[in-house]
Amino acid sequence: MKARRTAAVLTLLLSASPTVRLSAQGDVDRLALRFASMTAATGLEQAMVDSLQALFPGSTRDHAGNVTLTLGQGSPKRLFTCPLDEVGYVVGNILPDGFLLLRRVGGGGAGRTASPLFDQQLEGHRVTVFAARGAVPGVVAVKSTHLTRGRGAPGAPDPVFTVDNAYVDVGASSAAEVQGLGIAVLAPVSLAKRPQLYGERLLAGPVAGRRAACAALAAAVQAKPKVKGTVVVAFTVQSLYASNAGLASVKALLGPFDDIKTAALPARYADTAVETVALADADRLVREILQWMEGR
Amino acid sequence: MADGGTGGRAVRDCVLALLLLSAGPPVYLSAQDSVRISEAQSVLAQLVETYGVSGTEGPVREAVKRLLPSWAKSETDTAGNLWVRVGQGSPVVVVIAHLDEIGFRVTGIRDDGTLELETRGGFISSLFEAKPALVHTDQGDIAGVFLPRDSGFTRHTPPPLRVDVGAGSRAKAMARGVNPGQTVTMPKQYVRLSGTRATGRSFDDRVGATAQLIALRRLDRAALKHQVIFIWSVREEIGLEGAAAAAAALGTTPRRVHAIDTFVSADSPIELPNFAVAPIGRGAVARALDNSSITPPAYVDSLVQVARARGVALQVGTTNGGNDGSEFTPFGVVDVPIGWPLRYSHSPAEVIDLKDVVSLADMIRAVAETW
Repeated sequence: MKARRTAAVLTLLLSASPTVRLSAQGDVDRLALRFASMTAATGLEQAMVDSLQALFPGSTRDHAGNVTLTLGQGSPKRLFTCPLDEVGYVVGNILPDGFLLLRRVGGGGAGRTASPLFDQQLEGHRVTVFAARGAVPGVVAVKSTHLTRGRGAPGAPDPVFTVDNAYVDVGASSAAEVQGLGIAVLAPVSLAKRPQLYGERLLAGPVAGRRAACAALAAAVQAKPKVKGTVVVAFTVQSLYASNAGLASVKALLGPFDDIKTAALPARYADTAVETVALADADRLVREILQWMEGR
Repeated sequence: MADGGTGGRAVRDCVLALLLLSAGPPVYLSAQDSVRISEAQSVLAQLVETYGVSGTEGPVREAVKRLLPSWAKSETDTAGNLWVRVGQGSPVVVVIAHLDEIGFRVTGIRDDGTLELETRGGFISSLFEAKPALVHTDQGDIAGVFLPRDSGFTRHTPPPLRVDVGAGSRAKAMARGVNPGQTVTMPKQYVRLSGTRATGRSFDDRVGATAQLIALRRLDRAALKHQVIFIWSVREEIGLEGAAAAAAALGTTPRRVHAIDTFVSADSPIELPNFAVAPIGRGAVARALDNSSITPPAYVDSLVQVARARGVALQVGTTNGGNDGSEFTPFGVVDVPIGWPLRYSHSPAEVIDLKDVVSLADMIRAVAETW
């Protein structure tokens, strides 16, 4: 992965200094759940970008797809970012019998991902194909338990499932039926997103950490801070593909900036379908962002 | 359908060519068919979205009771099986579908509050790893997650699964109502796919339970020439236990038993095509040979004749797994199981065709009324 880690981009560390009270704690929970339900395969974030633009009237979308909004005016000029994107999949081929094949998008060069089990999470689970005419449910085929009985020799290899073995079944019997659903090559595909709340305000779901961090940034903006100087808020795209072109674009188009920070939260079970973030941490992050924006 | 891993009478490595009686173009829907599809979906969705791991089928049994026709008188036996008797006289015929689904049971709670589990039924454990979990308690479901592994990343199969309910300690987990003995599954949802297909978890054997309900609703009771006993059984996935109790209670009285259960189909690009290739959408399947029973050929022929006489789509084939009817055969009862083709059995993303549910219900009705 050729992504550059700019030294000037610092992750805002959490601290417990509750000097700013949110209008409602539920704002972060609501936004985190909403964002965690969305899909934004890197480079194909348009649907989530549309939602963010609707959430923030007056925001703009640049040519790369980043959503930005400018708060305040004058100096210093600072940038607060949050990457929207996730490692995802697109339809790579449509077979004559109606099954779809996939290619992964993002997650590093040479087909590597953060976890060798990343693709295995697809096997035998429901996925969503984002077709031209809307979301289409499907599943990724898995061998039936019963039919594997007696067919594996003791000690036989137990290889992990890879994306090359992912046959997506949308219920179609032919390529024509698939096309009739509006599905074409390059349609984004993701695990069906059903984030789960458990324990004491723990949120589990794919990329829950990133989405809760973006929710914290969104909640901070919605709190209408009295910013010091100018603060550009950017929800960026393509952070997981090639050269982190989204952030680079924001800096090139709207910079230079005196300071840059990126919203981030610690997550348990990272890179899994149950990546877990504590929404209490998101509360604290909102307070930190507001303090930073207001120069306190 | 039990996966046959525990069946002492299992017939393994069976290879038998599949006879497709209805081979040819797919079945197209008329307006009447659409009504039938809607009815099947309406019943099935309710049963699929009800949880009932083997041994805790109460919620599913209650759902079935609510969906019975108003005239039906049901009774629950001491094993937990639900019975509805229709008609009178000999020979008695039994139709049986199971209520339970695969899942887990809590066996212990660790100091850190995570739950240790044992499996209830056979399945691929990796399909549950790092996925949302539900602990089923008398006070309601408690959300959690199946823990991802922390080692062995080059193997498909994870170590034994545990669940985190976010408690942090044994005491806090128990304070939330978690206790050993409770069952665990993952959230499930009935979802319609393209055309008449649908996905969900526990279609095995909610489809069978649904087909029995629809057959009862549409049954011409005046046409019955003998008694037919409809049974919704318990604990099938852990060894056909409910069926064993029912079979013992009936003894040698029944003439035939029809297990109404999954026909695990190899209708998928990742399965071997040696056997079990009953395409979904082509109708019910006479499950003539599985790991627990072999239907006498004359009875298969009779079933085919019933299907033809009533114009019901029926395939004939062989697959793996065990069926409830096999518990009746030691009493001299002939097991003539009828299934419906299922892709990706015992996974969270099983796939069916609703046309097969209608076909299955029609087969049950035809068998009850005419055979």
